[in-house]
Amino acid sequence: MLCLLLAATAPAASEPTTPTEHQVKAAFLYNFGRFVTWPARAFADSTAPLLVGILGEDPFGTEIDAILRGKTLEGRPVQVQRFQELRDLGPCHILFTARSDPAFLQQLFATLRGRPVLTVGESTDFTSRGGVIRFYLEENRVRFEINVRAAQRAELWISSKLLKLARIVGEESER
Amino acid sequence: MKRFRDLAIQRKMILIIMATTMVALLLVCSGFVVYDVLAFRRSILGNLSILASVIASNSTAALAFGDSAAAGETLAALQAETHIVEAAMYNSQGQVFATYSRAAGGTFSPPPPQDDGHHFGDDHLSLHRGIELAGERLGTLYIRSDLAAMRTRLTRYAQIVGLVVATSLVVTLWLSAQLQRLISAPILRLVHTVRRVSAESDYSLRTASTGRDELGTLIDTFNEMLGQIQTRESALQERTRQLEAANKELESFSYSVSHDLRVPLRAIDGFSLILLEEHGGELGAEGKRLLQVIRSSAQEMGQLIDDLLSFSRFGRLQMERSEVDMNGLTRQLVEELLALEGPRRPRVEITDLPATQGDRRMLRQVFVNLVANALKFTRHQADPRVTIGGFATASETVYFVRDNGVGFDMRYADKLFNVFQRLHSTEEFEGTGVGLAIVQRIVHRHGGRVWAEGEVGHGATFYFALPGQVLEASPGAGYS
Repeated sequence: MLCLLLAATAPAASEPTTPTEHQVKAAFLYNFGRFVTWPARAFADSTAPLLVGILGEDPFGTEIDAILRGKTLEGRPVQVQRFQELRDLGPCHILFTARSDPAFLQQLFATLRGRPVLTVGESTDFTSRGGVIRFYLEENRVRFEINVRAAQRAELWISSKLLKLARIVGEESER
Repeated sequence: MKRFRDLAIQRKMILIIMATTMVALLLVCSGFVVYDVLAFRRSILGNLSILASVIASNSTAALAFGDSAAAGETLAALQAETHIVEAAMYNSQGQVFATYSRAAGGTFSPPPPQDDGHHFGDDHLSLHRGIELAGERLGTLYIRSDLAAMRTRLTRYAQIVGLVVATSLVVTLWLSAQLQRLISAPILRLVHTVRRVSAESDYSLRTASTGRDELGTLIDTFNEMLGQIQTRESALQERTRQLEAANKELESFSYSVSHDLRVPLRAIDGFSLILLEEHGGELGAEGKRLLQVIRSSAQEMGQLIDDLLSFSRFGRLQMERSEVDMNGLTRQLVEELLALEGPRRPRVEITDLPATQGDRRMLRQVFVNLVANALKFTRHQADPRVTIGGFATASETVYFVRDNGVGFDMRYADKLFNVFQRLHSTEEFEGTGVGLAIVQRIVHRHGGRVWAEGEVGHGATFYFALPGQVLEASPGAGYS
């Protein structure tokens, strides 16, 4: 099944080998972009690129560059940006981080508060701390959960089609 | 089945009207049904396309994220549409991604994905449609719908058409039976009048006119023709009456003239005889010879007058019809005639003669004249032979008297039967030339005909034919 979803996003380049977990996740990052609408102020103009940022350790390597090469979203080229530290963080629309230490995340979400950034993470408490989307594994498949409140805060409009596929979660304060 | 052209005009018109109506009705019905089926197919296709669009739109995320369970759920929504038999979703590789089947159990093997489009089968409609997101093709949707709705609709149509046709049949039958009278009634009236005119020879009948159309013209013209015939008929009757009167007058005139002529003739003959007997000596041989000539001429003229009177009598005599046995009749008269022949013994042969209807006395006279003629003209023959024969044809009974006498020239065949027409001199064969005229007169009064065949020196055959179905000849027919 994993190969199918990869195939859906990168049909030409796909090989019959089973894609790795991170290849799948890289493809998901792009697909999120297709079902999420950013506020107009997030872009300088209608042709401004959609920036996919990777903060900290990069688990994808060159895979993500391969997957996103030549891709567009509503006419915008998709570009990958890598940031080592939080202080290096530049403008981006989708921000992925593999880091999980609570202090870092707290600082990250505080930094991004009020900015239309779709945050994607992997750590267990990523969404409960304020992240929008979190990957998790279920029966060896990559699934994701969405913190709708966080998305609203970031002024992101998430398509119901995407929500239908996701597990909807709340935040720590709501539990 | 009775042939169409033999049918009465009313039935013909009803049939024509009905056939025309039915054809028109069936054409209209078929037109409607075809149009509706096409429209219905379009509508089914339209509905299925919309459904496919909705499903495709709702499946983009599932395809993008490879969530076949979610895709399956989307497809499962199709169960709301009962005509959807099965559906399947393929990813962009053409592999089956999710399926739906209406049947219990719910599994089926989807056909390989095809290019976008639709296909109408006998009992199904299948549709392939691309699932696209922002211009990128994520996969293909396949939906198959049954056409039960269309079949139901067609069945209902067949019922409606059947009902309409049956109702129209009854209404058209009634209506055409009423309306055809507009045309057939005047024709039938005309036919009725024509039949009566023909059967009763009543030319005073008229048909009521109907209007100014062709039928009206026909009837008017027919009435006009009847009027003309009526005028002519009465003129003809008047003329006939005049002719008959004139003829009768002539007849009685000639009869009385003939009758009156006999008296002085008898005086001439009588006084010539007295002169000869009492004063023969004073006259000398030449005077006696001349007196003899006067006497024989007077006698000849007397015979002529007698024959004329008899000719006239056969024209006036009332006919008494009965079945006549020609065999007995001829045998008797032949014996009588042969007795007059004296020592000469001509052979007379009578073959079996068919019987006929007619006036026995008159027919006897016919044979008497013909046989007497035959005996007369065979007088110089060494072996005189006379044959009397007869035969029946489909329409006539023909009799003939054949002899081997002097015969005649066929050039004069049509003159033989005229009064006083003689082909031989009185010196050669005696006679006045009235006998065959009487024959013709009698036969004509019987509605028959006479003719003769012969050759000079080789005998002659005289024929007369009487109609098989005996017609009562009008009195006028006797005068020729």
